[in-house]
Amino acid sequence: MTATKQPTTPQRGVEAPATPRLQAALASIEWTRFAIVVLSYVVCLCLFGAVVAIKHASPTGVYSSMIHDALLGDGSVVEVLTRSVAIGLAALAVSVPARAGLVNVGGEGQLIVGAVAASGLGVYVVGGLPGPLGWIVMALGGMVAGAIWAGVPALLRTQLGANEAVTTLLLNFIANDLVLYLIYQPWRDPSGGGQPESSPLPGRDLLPNVLGSQINLAIIIALVVAIVIWALLAHTGWGFALRVVGGNQEAARRAGLPVTKVMVSSMLVGGALAGLGGMLNLAGSQNQLLPGGTATYGYIGFLAAFLGRHQPFKVVLTALLFSAIAIGNSGLELNYGLDGSVVDVLLALLVAAPLWLSRRRKEIV
Amino acid sequence: MNGIEQALATGVESGTVILYPALGELIGQRSGIVNLGTEGCMLAGALAAYAVTASTGSPLLGVLAGAAGGSLIGLAHAYLVVRRRADQLASGLVMWFLAVGLTAVLGASFVSESANPLPIWKIPGLGSIPWIGNILFDHDPLVYISYLLVPGVWWFLHRTRAGLVVRATGERPAVVSVAGRRPDVIQILAVSFGAGLAGVGGAELSIGYVDSWFDDMTNGYGFVAVAVVLFAAWRPLWVMFGSYLFGVALASASVLQAHGVSVNQYLLDSLPYLVTLIALVVFTRRGRSQAPESITAALTNTS
Repeated sequence: MTATKQPTTPQRGVEAPATPRLQAALASIEWTRFAIVVLSYVVCLCLFGAVVAIKHASPTGVYSSMIHDALLGDGSVVEVLTRSVAIGLAALAVSVPARAGLVNVGGEGQLIVGAVAASGLGVYVVGGLPGPLGWIVMALGGMVAGAIWAGVPALLRTQLGANEAVTTLLLNFIANDLVLYLIYQPWRDPSGGGQPESSPLPGRDLLPNVLGSQINLAIIIALVVAIVIWALLAHTGWGFALRVVGGNQEAARRAGLPVTKVMVSSMLVGGALAGLGGMLNLAGSQNQLLPGGTATYGYIGFLAAFLGRHQPFKVVLTALLFSAIAIGNSGLELNYGLDGSVVDVLLALLVAAPLWLSRRRKEIV
Repeated sequence: MNGIEQALATGVESGTVILYPALGELIGQRSGIVNLGTEGCMLAGALAAYAVTASTGSPLLGVLAGAAGGSLIGLAHAYLVVRRRADQLASGLVMWFLAVGLTAVLGASFVSESANPLPIWKIPGLGSIPWIGNILFDHDPLVYISYLLVPGVWWFLHRTRAGLVVRATGERPAVVSVAGRRPDVIQILAVSFGAGLAGVGGAELSIGYVDSWFDDMTNGYGFVAVAVVLFAAWRPLWVMFGSYLFGVALASASVLQAHGVSVNQYLLDSLPYLVTLIALVVFTRRGRSQAPESITAALTNTS
């Protein structure tokens, strides 16, 4: 930032000795900043340790259990990758509209309706279609459902001025009731025993693992989609339009950009991403609709998107980290008597750290 | 009591669960800060109230603990937003997550415990008026306090010097600053106080309306409270109507079921959220011009 200002001060004579000194100063600023950032995350880890210590769990034990469950255990890395499909796509569903200045907190609901559409199509409609065609229909169905679930708040915002952060949130609860209704009544698996659950997808509709590995096709698809989204945002006119609208709506309007269309399109794409996430989560790992099947992945995705500052690669990496943390809870209940939601505290703290530092960031920029 | 009367009476009680947080959110938003963490404040309040009531046997202490629990979360939110200039919506959601995790961990031992709930006081005289008596005057004390709180909040915001300062902070913090007051302190106080009311709403839920504690028991009511404030256009009386509207939608679901109407429970459960959503859409247009300026900025220009 300071470096870009440097050439505007034309002091040719003194420039040569000044620049290295400036660079050194700049480097030292970055180091202080880096240290503060690291320190703030260390504080987060300590605070989380303190929380588990309240319940008489050993913090070091809890952390080693989490690291074991998320990284070292048998098949745990694959599990982290699998979960990160839904979290990552839900996070991108937040980031794309955020580029256009819209707040999509509805990733959870969009994941749910995507899974619902995919399940309905998979169980009742596409049974006869040959493999890939069935997957494509399910994926498209999930994306359309997600896009509708996000498109309605987008239209309510652009046409009627209803705040999209609140409407998307309310739609999450409606989506959750919808899936409960379906799995308790019309779609309930007759052979599912006492559990309320939908009929599992027929075998051919499940996404297979790739080339005999444990990596499910869903992970590959999600990765490709993330790259496509990065390319769209970084290298197309649409991606540029999003940034302009998000930066200054009035300027965008005067420059002749169709502001409303751009905003709605960002939400439609976001919703479709989350809807696809719901479909991939269903066809890649869960196989059937369950109560609480999305396990707040949509909200975790929101936090990941924020921590990744809405930049696709950072968002995906954060989603992977959060997926690992979310998986890390599996041993905590069993071995330490801690409720599984305890990891929500850690996730919240990790996002609170940059919020805490935002003043510093704003002062430097 | 017939079905409609029962739905309305239960609606007032469950509506009170929304009314407290909504009034709190109203005060906070008037000062220029949105608190999406209202949901988290309610959860913290619900657990604190239940835990203290279960251990001391006193619902009064429980309500106070609920207010304190809510304020604490609100204070953290206000500090991050006002002093550290964090994004309001993100900070609110972080507070919610924090509260979900903390209450699940700390409240695990209270799930199976029973607590002495808030007493039901039937007001002599008023309570025996047909219809109205059952609907309005046969509740726990928090419901009656809320009847006074609604005009109280209006009077505070619109007829006192302090209320004027709060509203001015929401419109033009710089002007307040020039007038020799500290907008940051005013905002932190307003948001923490509002969050305390959200905590009381949580207390009304855990030791009043539901009379038990379980994980994530607020079920989105805090978000509904934020929606109610928006469509009520920052007017206390309308906040009251909006809360009761949600309450009646919530209550009619259970009343319909008790009367053997065979609609799926979960479809009925979604009704209150749908009603809130529709109300938000229908009333937003008119309300927007009334919005405190900082709120309009916070809600339309994040990231």
